[in-house]
Amino acid sequence: MRSGLQLSAPATLCLLQPLLLLQVSAYFGLTGREVLTHLSLPRQGATSTKLHLKQCDLLTLSRKQKRLCRKEPGLAEVLRDAIRLGVMECQYQFRNERWNCSLDGRTELLKGGFKETGFLYAVSSAALSHSLAKACSSGRLERCTCDDSPDLENQKAWQWGVCGDNIKYSTRFLKNFLGQKKIGKDLRAKVDIHNTKMGIKAVKNGLKTTCKCHGVSGSCAVRTCWKQLSPFHEIGRLLKTKYDNAVKVFSATNDATGHSELVGPQAHGHSSRLPRSTDLVYMEDSPNFCRRSTYSPGTAGRSCSKETNCDSMCCGRGHNTRSRMVTFSCHCQVQWCCHVECQQCMQEEEVYTCKR
Amino acid sequence: MAGAIIENMSTMKLCIVGGILFVFQIVAFLVGGLIAPDPTSVLHSTATKCIDVQKNHHKTKWFMPWGPNQCEKISSFDEALKRQIEANDIVFAVHIPFISKEMSPWFQFMLSIMQLDIAFKSNNFIQDNATVTLDVTMAYRNDLNGKWIELAHSLEQRKLKCKLPTPKTQVTEGQYYECDLIPLMELGSVAHKYYLVNIRLPVNERKKINIGIGEIKDLKLTTIFQNGGFTKVWFAMKTFLTPSILIIMVWYWRRITMMTRSPILLEKIIFALGISMTFINIPVEWFSIGFNWTWMLLFGDIRQGIFYAMLLSFWIVFCGEHMMDQSERNHFSRYWKQVGPIAFGSCCLFIFDMCERGVQLKNPFYSIWATDVGTELAMAFIIVAGICACLYFGFLCFMVFQVFRNISGKRSKLPAMSKTRRLHYEGLIFRFKFFMLITLACAALSVIFFITSQVNEGPWTWDETTVQVNSAFFTGIYGMWNLYVFALMFLYAPSHKNYGDDQSNGDLRVNSAEELQLTTTITHADGPTEVFRLAGKEAQE
Repeated sequence: MRSGLQLSAPATLCLLQPLLLLQVSAYFGLTGREVLTHLSLPRQGATSTKLHLKQCDLLTLSRKQKRLCRKEPGLAEVLRDAIRLGVMECQYQFRNERWNCSLDGRTELLKGGFKETGFLYAVSSAALSHSLAKACSSGRLERCTCDDSPDLENQKAWQWGVCGDNIKYSTRFLKNFLGQKKIGKDLRAKVDIHNTKMGIKAVKNGLKTTCKCHGVSGSCAVRTCWKQLSPFHEIGRLLKTKYDNAVKVFSATNDATGHSELVGPQAHGHSSRLPRSTDLVYMEDSPNFCRRSTYSPGTAGRSCSKETNCDSMCCGRGHNTRSRMVTFSCHCQVQWCCHVECQQCMQEEEVYTCKR
Repeated sequence: MAGAIIENMSTMKLCIVGGILFVFQIVAFLVGGLIAPDPTSVLHSTATKCIDVQKNHHKTKWFMPWGPNQCEKISSFDEALKRQIEANDIVFAVHIPFISKEMSPWFQFMLSIMQLDIAFKSNNFIQDNATVTLDVTMAYRNDLNGKWIELAHSLEQRKLKCKLPTPKTQVTEGQYYECDLIPLMELGSVAHKYYLVNIRLPVNERKKINIGIGEIKDLKLTTIFQNGGFTKVWFAMKTFLTPSILIIMVWYWRRITMMTRSPILLEKIIFALGISMTFINIPVEWFSIGFNWTWMLLFGDIRQGIFYAMLLSFWIVFCGEHMMDQSERNHFSRYWKQVGPIAFGSCCLFIFDMCERGVQLKNPFYSIWATDVGTELAMAFIIVAGICACLYFGFLCFMVFQVFRNISGKRSKLPAMSKTRRLHYEGLIFRFKFFMLITLACAALSVIFFITSQVNEGPWTWDETTVQVNSAFFTGIYGMWNLYVFALMFLYAPSHKNYGDDQSNGDLRVNSAEELQLTTTITHADGPTEVFRLAGKEAQE
């Protein structure tokens, strides 16, 4: 142990708080309008077949999804990871907004057609797509490439070199996994499907191409390129931008085909345009989320930052100011993993919270 | 004594030969584009974080990410922090390939690139010039239930070149750095079915090992290998091309030895070009399927190097021998100025390659770029080779320019000649220029396809037909240079038309050839007329 450190805290400290506990309720993709419970299952022993079947049962899934889940031993865990990832990212992106993506009132929100509903659909499908691709690369799923073929053919295709990559697989799998839903005639079903596809697309568009040269003497005469997933924060940020610029849509009947389709707002007297596949779409204007309602717990008691968002977050009710001493770690000795040796420093800090 | 076939061939026959070669060229492209898959495949793996629970490292040395006997894993390092696990007890495990797949000797080579996901923390950020020290072991087995056998073990250092896309503030905490790829290993043969890589990042505060490398979240391994299908198509192509070039070579050399005079320099160098082409063609790679020959990658580099050096030398000699001035040539030593840079440049690249891929035979994790001295040395080799290449192309361009200037000089004197003669010489010049054009076209096509392959991403699709552009590029260019060498040997072989007494249709040619023979071999010193000199050179070849 190092000497001469004042106020040294020899015990290894937590670097990260567990971001949230997921016992309450969470929402999963297009599985349905119900809430999902029992997320705090033990992670160990996920390989044991019995356990994974049990996990599949615990997840709220449609019959087809359940069958897919049972078929692939690692899938239940991936689905759970996807939920966690989606929820965490949503809360991170909305940490400074009136609606903070809380789990309270989620069920009601999902029944509406708000911007927030759209974001939830998009972020959950994006998280699922991202988690699937990631799980493939860590060997947690068995059928990642060359899937849906008998074993011998499978090995042959793999040796010949026609198997797709993880991302191709995850997109194809998702189409199968989420595509079971009857395509409803109503506007809301269309909006939901649009936003789900948009989330998957956001992951696809966020792929970065990386190349490596390995020709004669390492020259670029032979070069191999591949696509890489961006960190999920980047996709979350992109979706948030889409949320900010979301497009309100109506249902209209296409005269040519006779089918109804989504139509955007009328722009400058021109005929209304179709929303792009990368737009987030919604039908109803959002509630303001200021006061406690069926949709959210309201903003009372939320902490805000004075310079930026207190006025808007507190909905004009004003804020309380409180000063307190906070201790924080400083002059740290850290290693790349699992070891932090810090001094404790104190600082006075002003905390602002929204009034009731 | 007669000229080369190219001079005596009628334009129609030349067109026919050109047409046939063109058809073969198209076939070469199609073979790659339609039959073969993409040349290489990529395997992405995220390393499983295992904990080394038993402190005595005897029980089992290997950490498996899944399957029976899998290691005790953690999902994130936050978990490790809670359980007070130290950095030294963490092992990153990657199994190549995925579950239910196996590697095959058809994959030819395998190289792995490592990427670290490092999150920015204001109290734990990447310091300048950070290096990461890796304790890597690699093992193989050919049976899913067999024992792992160590393939290589090494302590490696790699530079960490990372930058944060946004400014370093409190808000950006947790954001990931954008890091350069870290080359991890290169295997020259894939003789086994399953591979396992275990990586440790040992920490030593006192020796400043793995300190200041930020907070590592994940370790990813990207493995590149050649596709089995591409290997098969490639082997098939080589197996087909070897006898073709070999036969034309034998035919060519027989024609030269049938002549009374000894072969001239141009003929010799064309033959040497044929030999180097055959050297590349011979499909020794077939052995790599049965034997674990890790030096195949290096051997391939050497073979290619020899061919390139030969081709570049040939171009110089080809231009020089068409220079049409009085000076005595026909000796390789006269081209030392131009060939020197080629030899020197190739040597530099050879040494560089030996330092990189040569050492990798012993230690697959070795990289010359990992150390500062190595990087400087490697850069020095490459820069010197680059300078040599520039020098060479300077010489070559100058020589081509000289040849064309001479030819246009000769051309202005053509109208003064009799009609039949003029037609004959015009034909000669045309054919010479034609061949220069072909050479240029081949070079240009190579460059165009090279650039396309750099820009191109993935296959092109025309209604239901998928064309693997990258594979088509490889087979097409390879076929093209084979056809080029083939055409050279065929068209520049001595013509048989004027053997014996077949003078009925070759009056003019024989006469002029005889005259020219005189001028070039006997009277070149006293300066024969320019036209004769031009034709003489052509005739001699």
